[in-house]
This record gives sequence, structure tokens and C-alpha cells, in this order.
Amino acid sequence: MRPHFDRLYRLAWRLTGQKAEAEDLFQELLIKAYGKLDTLAKINEPGSWLSRVMYNLFIDERRRFARRRLLTVEEGQMPGDGLADIPGNEDPVQHNERREKIRALDAALAQLSDEHRIVVLLHDTEGYKLTEIHELTGLPVGTVKSRLHRARARLREILTQSGTFS
Amino acid sequence: MPSDASAEQDREIQALLKDYPMPAASTTFYDQALVRATHEGTRRQRNRWLMTGFGSAVAAGLVLWLIGGFFLTTPVVPVADPNIPGVTMTLEEPRTINLVFASASALDSAMLTVTLPDGIELAGFPGQREIAWRTSLNEGKNFLPLELIAVSPIGGEVLARLEHNDRDRTFRLRIEVT
Repeated sequence: MRPHFDRLYRLAWRLTGQKAEAEDLFQELLIKAYGKLDTLAKINEPGSWLSRVMYNLFIDERRRFARRRLLTVEEGQMPGDGLADIPGNEDPVQHNERREKIRALDAALAQLSDEHRIVVLLHDTEGYKLTEIHELTGLPVGTVKSRLHRARARLREILTQSGTFS
Repeated sequence: MPSDASAEQDREIQALLKDYPMPAASTTFYDQALVRATHEGTRRQRNRWLMTGFGSAVAAGLVLWLIGGFFLTTPVVPVADPNIPGVTMTLEEPRTINLVFASASALDSAMLTVTLPDGIELAGFPGQREIAWRTSLNEGKNFLPLELIAVSPIGGEVLARLEHNDRDRTFRLRIEVT
């Protein structure tokens, strides 16, 4: 299982959007997998199988994770907090400008529905192909495509309204 | 058709998304998660095992492992449940664990291999971690008494691997030592 840990952790993070929840989800996956070691040993692509199990765990417990996200906001964390080491230009001015845009993007992503946020993050950030998202979520490829299109359009709308894009 | 401006915005959004950061897991997180999964997974499986009515059997030192159907084309008894039963032993105190293999058909010349964790010994085989022998199984229940001795408080898993022709199955038994 270990060779898949980094990719699974990234998936957990993209699904939940918060470190504590990502760690919880990752932990739940390992506990679940521990009880299925016999099954896992017979699977050709354990990474894909583990990803699907993680996604299903997230869907099953989405209410719990959503509640936690809400609590975190109530505790006063602003969107974008915790975004460290944002890659960017060495020029401090450009770096700051890019950092602000990433913060704005983070806030915009928080306004998307889970369905749209997950698809756009998996595709545009993590580089999943449409077919991989279909295999992970069970959604038809056409639905994945339309969600991706709507998510991007909604992001552009939010970022324009917030003044990030003039 | 999107305007040039919105097309440019789309490109910028996608560039930002590509760089959208996330913190890496801490260096010890994976190791800690594995340890927790092992402990928690064992605990949940033990609870499930107890709740499904096998508790009294485990407490009595009787562990029922069903292999019925495994050697048949059409299984007649489900064998997919990977629960690991557990027993508790007292340090230095021999305890007989009766393994019960319920086979849906008679099996001639099956190879049975028992692998012991450090700190658990089979009476009569001091220091041996792996003991293998050929045996035949009758249709129905087959009892295999194993007299085990915990020589350290670590505990661990006893593995029993049953091989017949080109098929095999491994069963696990968790040992806790008090």
C-alpha cells in the first residue's frame, strides 16, 4: 500500500480541503484496508481500488466532513489560511500578487459545491483524466465534463465579482 | 464564443489551479497512521467477531475457521469475511487453542504451515517459528489443537496456511499476552 500513500493523501486533501479532515479520511481508509488485506492482495490496481474506497468513505461521511469545515470557519479561520509555500516568481511583488490570487481562488473554491470543487481540483490541479474521475466517482464522463465546465465558469464569475479579475 | 478576455481569465484560472498548493503530510504521519490502523483495525474486527456470536467460542479457546467451499467451484459457505479472531494468553502459561477447519469436502494430502510470531511458541517445538506438515481433512469439522506458550509479552499474529493442489488460504489469529 505504501507506494500509493502520497497520491491517496493528496486525494484526501482535495476531497476534504482541510488537513485534519484529510488525515482523518486517510486514517479511515487504512483501517478499512486493514480489514481487506486479502482482497487487496488479489487486486491488479490497488491504487485505483484504494482511491475508490476513499472516495466512497468521503461520500458516506460527507456530512461529518462538511460539518467540520463549517466549524473551522466559525472558529475564525479565513479562507486561504494555511496555504504555505505557494510556488511563484522570485520577484516579491509578483509573488505577493500571485499569493493574493491563490487566496482568492481558495475562497472561490470554498463557494463551489462539493461536486464541482472535487471535479475541478482532481482534473485541473491533480491532473486526473476525465476517465479516471469517471472510474473514481462512478459518474458518466459526460457528467464529469459538464461539471468541470460549470465549475470553471463559476470560478471565473466569483473571481470577477471579487475584483481578482477586472 | 468566449471573448478574448474571458479566455485569458480561463487560462489564468487553470494556471492558478495547477499551482494550487497543499501541505505535504508530516514525515511521521504515514508511520503513525499505519500503527493506528493496525490497532484500530484489530480492535474493530475483534468487536465485530465478538458481536457476531463467536465471542463465547473465542473465550473458550475455540476458534472456528470456515473454509467450506474454498476448494469447490461453487462455494457453499461464505469465506470472504477476513475477520481476525483473537485470544488472550497469560505469559508463560500454556494454552490450547483449538482450530476448527470446516471443509465442504474431504481433502487428501493438504499442507498445513503454522507460522508463529516472536514470543509465541508451540509446545514441543521450542524456538521454531514455522512448523509444517501434511494432513488430510475430512468433510465437515476438523479439529487441530495447538498448545501455545507465550514466552514474551509482545503477542502478535499466528498464521495458518493451508495448501491443497494449487490453491491456498491463510488464516490469521491474533494473540494478546497479559
